[in-house]
Amino acid sequence: MTTTEHPGATAAPPVGTTVLQTVDVAVHYGGIKAVDGIDLTLESGRILGILGPNGSGKSTLLGAITRLVPLTRGRVLLDGGDYSRTPASRLAHRGIARTFQTVRLLPDLTVLENVQLGADLRLDRASRWRELVRRAVSAPVAEAIERTGVGDVLDLRPGELSYGTARRVEIARALAGRPRVLMLDEPTAGMNQPERIEVAALLRRLRDEGLTQLLVEHDVQMMVDTCDRLLAMNQGRHVAEGAPGDVVRDPTVQEAYLGKRWNRAADQ
Amino acid sequence: MNTWWLSNQILIQSTFISLLLALSIQVPLRAGVFSFAGIGSYAIGAYTAAILTIRAQVAPVVAIGAGVLLAAVVGYLLALLVARLSGLYLGMATISFTLFLGVLATNGGDLTGGATGLFGALSTLTTEHVIAITVVVLVLLAASERGSFGRRVDAVREDPQLAVSLGVDVVRVRRRVFVVSGALGACAGGMNTLLRTTVSPETVGFHLVVTALTIIIVGGAMSWAGAAIGAVIFTWLPSILQFVGEWQLLVYGIVVAIAAVYVPGGLLGLLQEGWRRMRRRGRRLPAEGAVAQTQAAAAVDPEKELAALAAPTTEVRP
Repeated sequence: MTTTEHPGATAAPPVGTTVLQTVDVAVHYGGIKAVDGIDLTLESGRILGILGPNGSGKSTLLGAITRLVPLTRGRVLLDGGDYSRTPASRLAHRGIARTFQTVRLLPDLTVLENVQLGADLRLDRASRWRELVRRAVSAPVAEAIERTGVGDVLDLRPGELSYGTARRVEIARALAGRPRVLMLDEPTAGMNQPERIEVAALLRRLRDEGLTQLLVEHDVQMMVDTCDRLLAMNQGRHVAEGAPGDVVRDPTVQEAYLGKRWNRAADQ
Repeated sequence: MNTWWLSNQILIQSTFISLLLALSIQVPLRAGVFSFAGIGSYAIGAYTAAILTIRAQVAPVVAIGAGVLLAAVVGYLLALLVARLSGLYLGMATISFTLFLGVLATNGGDLTGGATGLFGALSTLTTEHVIAITVVVLVLLAASERGSFGRRVDAVREDPQLAVSLGVDVVRVRRRVFVVSGALGACAGGMNTLLRTTVSPETVGFHLVVTALTIIIVGGAMSWAGAAIGAVIFTWLPSILQFVGEWQLLVYGIVVAIAAVYVPGGLLGLLQEGWRRMRRRGRRLPAEGAVAQTQAAAAVDPEKELAALAAPTTEVRP
């Protein structure tokens, strides 16, 4: 596999700078308030987790932030600039990548091609030709494959993969675009325990290298282990926010979702 | 060869023209756009070429080019008009666009020759020209199916929302698809008119929708190659099927039904699947052999095994 360099990687700002912000974001469907007035701040080089029971509006919030779901109210800011009216397809060009709650790989493409899809937006004309003529794989694609460990299945189609592997291919696709901000919607849903631990470790490594992340998950243990901050939601509303340990111990959060046993998870 | 070529001129020409016509439906379909506007563009190209050739005696390249340009512009405007439609509704809207153009041609008075159409569009267009133009189109389309461009079009078809999140401007891709489809259809229509020297509302009617759809369903809708297979089959099948006489249409119907129900990828899909299986089988065997060999070597000589472990590992991909 030959690789070619390509531009796209940008210097990360110092850890803790505000990268992305939502101000009073609301998404209503008729009378249903899926998301109702959420303020959040995503700081560079940190992982913010969004916690909440099913139907609490986590995925809708992610959709609103990535402009796939129209805002009913509020603003979304990237580097301090309002992008509430920017077309969703522009966001990828500004360094925001995401995965979805369900596996969304193209069934007729190989795993390699699916990963390449994530890097295509940054390909310049020269690398596009190199890829077409010499079948060269660009460096970010090779790197994403290596990091997610999907190198053994590159020639397979998504239908031939186990669920856990398919999810890793999705993360690879998101990484292949060398994003500044990565948003993951339940990345470990359906994975077994070793796979979950592996993904959590990967996310932490990426964080240590400066990748800002927004993580939506059900797995509370993983959230506590992985995130720098947690934001708890219930019925579209902000319930609690802060250090993971504090949030999962918060009585309101426990009542809404967790149950007492998560005291132990937080203490570890 | 030479006598075959001469005696089959019409069929050879038809093969390439119906291929371009089918591609004007296949290109949008590949991007998930169910549009028959290419058939209407065929009419635009056919009439533009006839009118310009008869009235202004322009060169064939100008006559066809003007139609292509006009149809591309109309395609763009149509795309704006039907931007919010998809699936069956888009199919219906674009079929009515095609029927509307047929009505326009019938009632166009002197300009379009009414129901009888136009005659005497004599030109210097030859079969070789048609083939050359088609080959250029095929090369461009084949390139568009590969690499990053092809992948992104696939994404637009399979999962538009995903495509958007990957930075693809889906709306723009859809608009462009209408433009390309218009140009392809008009090119086919213009060339057909100049080869036959005549055009009438009948020759640009609804039956072309059926022809184009048949070609890509049986051949395979996801690649130019499928359309090529389909175009060859459905241009030459009638001359082969002459012995069944009036039952021809029935045979057609059965072939299309079988393809649609049992072979959704078309003949091309069947070929590709077979090819993939063969390749995979071919690759797996030597890989297993290689593993067995290294194991055997290790069993014979433990020292060699240690040396191999110490040496920098070379990656072997199956």
